[in-house]
Amino acid sequence: MSETSAVRLDGITKSFGSSVAVDDVTLDIRPGEFFAMLGPSGCGKTTSLRMIAGFADPDSGSVLLGGEDVTYLPPNKRNVNTVFQSYAVFEHLSVADNVAFGLKRRGVPRDERRERVGRMLDLVQLTGMANRRPRTLSGGQRQRVALARALVNRPKVLLLDEPLAALDLKLRRQMQVELKQIQREVGVTFVFVTHDQDEALTMSDRLAVMNGGRVAQVGTPEDVYERPADAFVAGFIGTSNVMTGTYADGRLTLPGGVSLPVPSRLGLAAGSRVGAAVRPEKIWLSDFEDGMVQIRGTLRETVYSGATTTYLVEIAPGVQLSVLEQNIDRSRREERWTGGEIIDLAWKPEHCLLLCETA
Amino acid sequence: MRRAFSRRRKPWFAIAVTVAFFGMLYLPIVVVALFSLNSQKSLTVFKGFSLRWYRAFFADHDLIGSLGFSLRISAVAMIGSIVLGVALALGIVRSRGKLGSAAGLVLLIPLITPEIVTGVASAMLFKGVGLPLSSGTVMLAEVTFSISYVTVILRSRVAALNPEVEEAAMDLGCSRFQAVRLVTLPALLPAILASAILIFAMVFDDFVLAYFTTGVTPQPLPVRIYSAIRFGVQPTINAVGTLMLIGSIALIGLALLVPRLFGRRESLSQLL
Ligand SMILES: Nc1ncnc2c1ncn2[C@@H]1O[C@H](COP(=O)(O)OP(=O)(O)O)[C@@H](O)[C@H]1O
Ligand SMILES: [Mg+2]
Repeated sequence: MSETSAVRLDGITKSFGSSVAVDDVTLDIRPGEFFAMLGPSGCGKTTSLRMIAGFADPDSGSVLLGGEDVTYLPPNKRNVNTVFQSYAVFEHLSVADNVAFGLKRRGVPRDERRERVGRMLDLVQLTGMANRRPRTLSGGQRQRVALARALVNRPKVLLLDEPLAALDLKLRRQMQVELKQIQREVGVTFVFVTHDQDEALTMSDRLAVMNGGRVAQVGTPEDVYERPADAFVAGFIGTSNVMTGTYADGRLTLPGGVSLPVPSRLGLAAGSRVGAAVRPEKIWLSDFEDGMVQIRGTLRETVYSGATTTYLVEIAPGVQLSVLEQNIDRSRREERWTGGEIIDLAWKPEHCLLLCETA
Repeated sequence: MRRAFSRRRKPWFAIAVTVAFFGMLYLPIVVVALFSLNSQKSLTVFKGFSLRWYRAFFADHDLIGSLGFSLRISAVAMIGSIVLGVALALGIVRSRGKLGSAAGLVLLIPLITPEIVTGVASAMLFKGVGLPLSSGTVMLAEVTFSISYVTVILRSRVAALNPEVEEAAMDLGCSRFQAVRLVTLPALLPAILASAILIFAMVFDDFVLAYFTTGVTPQPLPVRIYSAIRFGVQPTINAVGTLMLIGSIALIGLALLVPRLFGRRESLSQLL
């Protein structure tokens, strides 16, 4: 990749007292991409974002924007803007004055200011609300004000800290689509922080999965979903069946002596305890093909949820797999099992991942 | 039946105490206001309504001079204590260290110190550093002892501010100082105005501190009134007292109204 990164974090570390919030994070974010930072609460997403924006100084490492080292520049000297988690709308200013705030600071002439604010309000669908006070707006509208206020400055990079977390589910879905459209339209690099894996997978071009201040994996949504780097990513993104057992010669032995073929890994000592993960939707219940890993289990539970049915199958003492089937043929469930039956399952070998155990 | 009956009896004792309390509190004020309208010089017999004591007050250059002086002291104390008190509130809330919380505690001392102690101490301090008592010393003292009120009122408002709002201003191109000026102070404006009015009213009718720290001439109005009644009460003083009362009530009313003018829910009682 010869292109300079829009944002480059180079080994940044930040501690508060004795606790390390961000631990040696290195990331390259490409110009124009929609980049998500995904991880559970407290994993250091906000702290990373604050170091890009300039609200926090890293203890070590550097922050580069478009190739330029900005590690110790104050926020007002960086060509990035932020959409804050609380929106941080200026209550004493009208919607239009909120949006015009940054342009005014930069000395953009009045006419140009008015025109750009007008166009931005159209873009975020706040046309006609220019003179409203923030107090009179709904949560979704305040969120749009915060977005317009940041985007109108045409930053190189827009930082968004869980911008949709406070919205109700329906509005959140709608804003996910809209945000993505807006990003394509303006072509600005978005760095989008979220703890919602669905949101990260559906919206981002690439994402970083964070855990305990470290980056666990960087890749496209498909990369992290299909090829999770470790047990944490496999468990955090979507649902995975993780089976833990003893590894030897390409086979995993589960409690009770059940043995499964798993991808072999060089350098893994026989007798190591490892995990193997299979996604519920990758497990088949019928029409098996040649070369599949086949195993027998006892059906423990059937959970019908409209479009899909989830079966819980016990394949070894204390090891249950959940299996997801689409209800393509409605009658299928009725002729299927109710519980207690012995059934066969199978998956393609490449859908079973050997996870390096994280401490 | 008996119990139900006895429960319905009026609590005569409680009513009597309440009436006596409010009587002692407000009767003297009512009497002053009433006799300021007396057409005769008598302070015991009301003869009829007239505005002659108000006319006498406005014709008295001495008293008018004191009124002007008191207004000037109040204005200086208001502006000085707002500037310093708001800055102090911001500093105390923002500095998370020991210094900030220590300053927050020290701040409460002037609020609980008897004013007579404050007054005597101030007078001795001015004497000690060789500063002759004058209009300057009384203003200095009033500014100093008003800061605590402003800071105590503002501190909780500052603490309640969303820190991301100031950061948003910096994100949009402000320096730290510009962010405070353009975003933080406007957010605090209702509380600032309310405490400004409060300080003005408090300083205007302050007697004790003014008495110990003012020079010989001009005298602040409350001190002037005190010296006047030592030589017998003139009905003019009733007129002055009534005017001061009306002024104070108007200011307190204004202070209560300010937050509402900004369309905010919080009232002064919540601010305090
Ligand atoms: N200003 C701060 N002072 C002390 N600890 C902090 C501060 N900011 C964040 N932390 C700690 O750093 C860790 C990471 O926080 P944060 O970056 O906000 O996580 P996230 O945004 O992923 O939820 C947390 O353990 C949090 O308690
Ligand atoms: Mg956060």
